[in-house]
Amino acid sequence: MNERRRVLGAFAAAIAGALVPPGGAARAAVAEPVVRDDLAPATGALASPPMLPPDVRWETNNDEPLIGSPQAIRGGTLRYELGAYPLTFRLMGPNSNDFFAAWNRLFTFNFTLVQRHPVTDRYIPMMATHWSVQGDQRTIYFKLDPEARFSDGHPVTADDYVFTWQMMRSPHIVDPFYNTYAKQYYESVDRIDDHTLRIVGTRWSWRPLYDFAGLWPTPAHATKLDAGWVQRTNNQFQITVGPYAIADVVRGESVTFERLPKWWGEGRRYFIGQYNFDRIALRVIPEGRGLDYLRRGELDVITEGSARAWHEDYDFPAVNNGWLRRARVMVDTPSGVFGLHMNLEAPIFGNLHFRRAMQYLFNFERVNRNLMFDEYFRTVSFFEGTPFADPKLKPYGFHPEFARAELARAGYHRPAELRPQGFFGQLWNTVRGIVFTRSDTADVLVNERGEKASFSVIYGSQGLERHLTVIQQDFRRAGVDMQLRLLEPGAAFERALERKYEMTLVGYTSGFYPDPRQYLGSEYQKATNNNDIWGFGSPEVDRLIKVYERDPDAAARLAAMHRIDDIVHDDAFYIPFWRSPFIRIAYWDYLRFPEFYLPKRTEQLSDYLVYWIDPARKQALARDMRDGKRYPVDTEIDKDYYHLRHAVASGG
Amino acid sequence: MRWPRLDPLTRRRFARFRRIRRGYYALVVLLAAMVLAVFAPYLAESRAIAVWYRGTLYLPTFQYYPMRTFGQAPPAGWDSANIETDYYRLQREWRTERLLYARGRTASGSDPAARAALAARYPDRDDVVVMPPIPWNPYQSDFWANEILNDIQQALDAGRRGEAEWLALRDGLDGLAAAIDDGKIDALLAAHDGHPKRTLGDLARSGTMASLAGLGTSPPNPPDLRRRHYLGTDSQGRDVAARLLYGFRISIFFALFLVLTGQVIGTIVGSLQGYLGGRFDLVSQRVIEVLIAVPFLYVVIVIAALFQPTFWLLIAILSLFQWIAITFFMRTEMYREKTREYCLAAKSYGASHFRIVFRHLLPNCLTPLVTFTPFAVVGAIFALTGLDYLGYGLPAPTPSWGELIGQALEASNRDKLWLTLAPFCALTVTLVLVVFIGESVREAFDPKPYARYE
Repeated sequence: MNERRRVLGAFAAAIAGALVPPGGAARAAVAEPVVRDDLAPATGALASPPMLPPDVRWETNNDEPLIGSPQAIRGGTLRYELGAYPLTFRLMGPNSNDFFAAWNRLFTFNFTLVQRHPVTDRYIPMMATHWSVQGDQRTIYFKLDPEARFSDGHPVTADDYVFTWQMMRSPHIVDPFYNTYAKQYYESVDRIDDHTLRIVGTRWSWRPLYDFAGLWPTPAHATKLDAGWVQRTNNQFQITVGPYAIADVVRGESVTFERLPKWWGEGRRYFIGQYNFDRIALRVIPEGRGLDYLRRGELDVITEGSARAWHEDYDFPAVNNGWLRRARVMVDTPSGVFGLHMNLEAPIFGNLHFRRAMQYLFNFERVNRNLMFDEYFRTVSFFEGTPFADPKLKPYGFHPEFARAELARAGYHRPAELRPQGFFGQLWNTVRGIVFTRSDTADVLVNERGEKASFSVIYGSQGLERHLTVIQQDFRRAGVDMQLRLLEPGAAFERALERKYEMTLVGYTSGFYPDPRQYLGSEYQKATNNNDIWGFGSPEVDRLIKVYERDPDAAARLAAMHRIDDIVHDDAFYIPFWRSPFIRIAYWDYLRFPEFYLPKRTEQLSDYLVYWIDPARKQALARDMRDGKRYPVDTEIDKDYYHLRHAVASGG
Repeated sequence: MRWPRLDPLTRRRFARFRRIRRGYYALVVLLAAMVLAVFAPYLAESRAIAVWYRGTLYLPTFQYYPMRTFGQAPPAGWDSANIETDYYRLQREWRTERLLYARGRTASGSDPAARAALAARYPDRDDVVVMPPIPWNPYQSDFWANEILNDIQQALDAGRRGEAEWLALRDGLDGLAAAIDDGKIDALLAAHDGHPKRTLGDLARSGTMASLAGLGTSPPNPPDLRRRHYLGTDSQGRDVAARLLYGFRISIFFALFLVLTGQVIGTIVGSLQGYLGGRFDLVSQRVIEVLIAVPFLYVVIVIAALFQPTFWLLIAILSLFQWIAITFFMRTEMYREKTREYCLAAKSYGASHFRIVFRHLLPNCLTPLVTFTPFAVVGAIFALTGLDYLGYGLPAPTPSWGELIGQALEASNRDKLWLTLAPFCALTVTLVLVVFIGESVREAFDPKPYARYE
């Protein structure tokens, strides 16, 4: 859950500029509460008071590899940048999904009952040491870690989870996202005893731990939930369960976390090698200036979001002398849906051949090579970056000759073939030509009804304008007139949700397990203001979605999703853009990483604090920089421990 | 209709204006620039002005000619019957034929068979493409600097040396063409000192070959005469000079239309306020006060954010606020003039209000209009530039100075001087010219030199 919310917030930074405002996508994802009547099982068995079934079989998992590295050295201060000073230290309610939220959640919301191992994807203990999933695939019992403590010393008990659930449903938090989420996923959360918890999900699920084990403890003893909660807690630091708590803030400038003197999780298998720093000092730095601060030695590491900067700005002595290192760490995370979308309800895009022509006219390679330094990878699948993407899919690719054939099949021809210009037409052209120039749309294709192959693209991000204008030129060359309409991001997104557009540029994030129903389910086709922005619906996809949601057989689910992927691809209403399956980092030599750099499922650098500062190297670096002693430069910038690059490349 | 005879005072004013050199020449330069801007398609356009091909004259400005017409090879994947000729490339191709033909003639001596073969090999050597001085239109992305080396490299790697040399010659990379011709390129690219085999891109970056300087980089590219990007390219590879020119064309005409609408409306309203006075004046003045209180830039931005404006819509929106300033001056002028004897005389003759205002009073109230209009033009150009800079102006990819300035101020482009200087200079020069004109007009219309106190 927190994972989902976090992904949404991070999305704007993740792909080539701000697509939707942080939080915008989150709101969109809940724009239409998903009520799954057909999936809700008959209730009635839940009347009995919560108690452990006599034959409960506890599960745990202590066999997965470590997340961190045992070589990690403890100590030091990590100095890292923060995009903006937090508007609030709350984690729910207005303004809570900002730049700081990723850090704020790191030691609170991210401490869920169980966690998914970031490399093997199997569930491992976190706040709960044991769990037991019942046969109905929605009732789960948890045995909580009895030593778990909040940062104020209070023990963590089952009541704190019940309280979390109550809080999520409360109107006092003024957060429709959590309100909807709680309603959609949790039927009940009950205390059995201090350290035993029962969670009942709303429905049968083949991934119950993913759906229903995302709760974190909220310190019930220190939280008063009433109408004044939002106001009162604006500037209250979170009481954490993780190893750090905020020790110091300078308003508008910095936030500093400090390690708790005694943390309950010390020595737990999956925390080994993580949380190595004694302090984490986050400093507010204007956008795009991180490198300047890094160069001056005021930061230890930055993540580089700009391909241009990555290719042009890292040419200075500290880099060339090997003191400052760079790495592009390949990761494997869902890339979401990002690209051009066609409104199936717009007359011009009702035609499949016309849509396919659009696919063939998108020249990704040209855009990537000339505007993005060949840094990005083409997205092919609707479920890109998740296990459900069909590996057999190939992108349409840039093929103007195919596009032309498809356009002809859709009934579009060059206007002269249809309506030869008469004498007056020629005369007008001449007059125009003398003063202005030949009409710029004279050679746009038309169909039998005389309608031009012309449509507008609504987009909300100025950062993507340059990509669109280059794409526009290829369309124009093929006789398709694409008009660009920049709207304010909120207005652009609203147009998409209301299907008041012809073509639009929108990005959605995706969870680890995609939810095709809210995008492709035909129950959303009739209504607007939901995530089915294309107006898509088909009985076959409905059937496949049902298979994906309810079939206990993993192979059948996978096959169903692959088939959905193929249908979306063949129906051609979505031109997938590109993705960045990597994290670009620049750091001083004394910051050390494990051999794998970052776990495979890392979305942002802060997700897993597996790196550390080597004090000996830090001293040596200061000395060597003074003496001008060079270090060997690591020319192999790509770090691909998990061999993901190959998988990405073969996927397209 | 007969031209109105200028009264002696006005004639004196014009004479005075002409005597103020600064303003007069500024006017001449600005008018010349505007005339040039009207004919921008002959100054900056990717279509040729004329093509002479195998005995026929083609005028691509008026007519669409696909590549097939001139036997031009289409880019990969395209069909030569269905895309427009790339005239600038055509020009370079034919020039290369001319070059190779001349070279072949010197080599082949006077052997008639060889000459005939040569003539057959280069059939288009005498054909001519006349391009505008800037062979780029403002919408076209040119990624040549980033891609040409890849193309030549591919030809080299595939062993098609002739094609590689042809490409180098065609695009003015004479040093590279010579190196390919005499085989020196192999030595340059060969592996040495334990380094792996190098590419042309490496040569360009390391500065080994002077003729490759600046190649292998993605846009924005600095000014490059080989490619006739006189002011370089912007971050999408579009020609800055062409965009400046068309940007000027758009902003100056935008400003003129806007000011014209605004001043006409403002004059009418202001005149009526002053002439009618009384309740009309009272009420309309309150309305104007309300409008003044509206922060107009924010209103425009809000409207533009919700509906992407077009040229005329933007003029309409800005006109809503443009007319206000001039009403005050027209109103006071009218208040003063309507008490004069000639007005009373006209009234006593029974002239209609309309006739009195527009025929008798208005010509005597023109001073503020004439003096303020140039400054209104400056304001309008600034408004459009500002809106474009903020992204609320004309839709992309309309050429615009504001958008160029926006690009220049992006963090990643701050060291690209050509992006900063070009729009900055253009804006400064234009505004200075208009201000010069305005000042001179004001001076020429200044009543003080003629004031006589009796």
